[in-house]
Amino acid sequence: MAKLDGKKLLACCANGAGSSLMMENAIKKVMTRNNIKPASLTHCAVSEGKSAANSHDVVFCARTFAKTFEGIDPAKTTLILLKNVMSDKEIEAALKDAGLLD
Amino acid sequence: MSTVLQDIVAKKHYLFISGAGLTWQQAVKASTASLVADGSVSKDFYKQIIACIEKYGPYMVFEHNIAMPHTTENAEGVYKTGIGFMVTDQMIDFGVDEDGEKKEANIFFTLCAANSAEHMNNIQQLASIFMNEPLIDALVAARTPEEILAAEEKYPCEEE
Repeated sequence: MAKLDGKKLLACCANGAGSSLMMENAIKKVMTRNNIKPASLTHCAVSEGKSAANSHDVVFCARTFAKTFEGIDPAKTTLILLKNVMSDKEIEAALKDAGLLD
Repeated sequence: MSTVLQDIVAKKHYLFISGAGLTWQQAVKASTASLVADGSVSKDFYKQIIACIEKYGPYMVFEHNIAMPHTTENAEGVYKTGIGFMVTDQMIDFGVDEDGEKKEANIFFTLCAANSAEHMNNIQQLASIFMNEPLIDALVAARTPEEILAAEEKYPCEEE
């Protein structure tokens, strides 16, 4: 079973309407390509992101929002910071680095 | 179904300008002009985009000098869902990102969203366009709506 199966994934951006949706699309591609079935994949604005992070296993956001997520519990939630939010290749590599993808 | 680029042309949501001497704030305002023209957004909509970039930095400027100015879904002053396309002859300087890397744009896809499903469809198509380098190069070189359509015909995005 893949490590991300059944996990709850969240993509965040400033407004929850532009780049987080692009991220969500790119993440979806990675999940499909690797035959992973997360429990959920949603997006939101960073203003909601920090409180939402606690109830998600993996949070993806652009590096510019890293500060927003300072203080989240790394044992509970893995934060994946991206340079290019629509790059499925970068997402795949970041998940591998985090040990979440073989 | 029409593609987002066909839609941009059909709705006249495009603008080709020199961009010389424009600040990024002026460029963002210009990029909303075609959306203001047909009542898709209010004439003050651009101010919200500027406020967002001032707050978070130029994170909406992606690789290949692509800018995607936007705010949130159902933002104040948004009446329709659409994309304002703009190409500038000169690069527009957006300053530096959190790594001190220079951010510049000469192609703009400015979003307004009143309808979630339509907006999601727009975003999905834009993601494919942004990853399609030959198409972006051809769009940057376009100076007429016909050239936008010709660029897409020549370099279509793969169906997913």
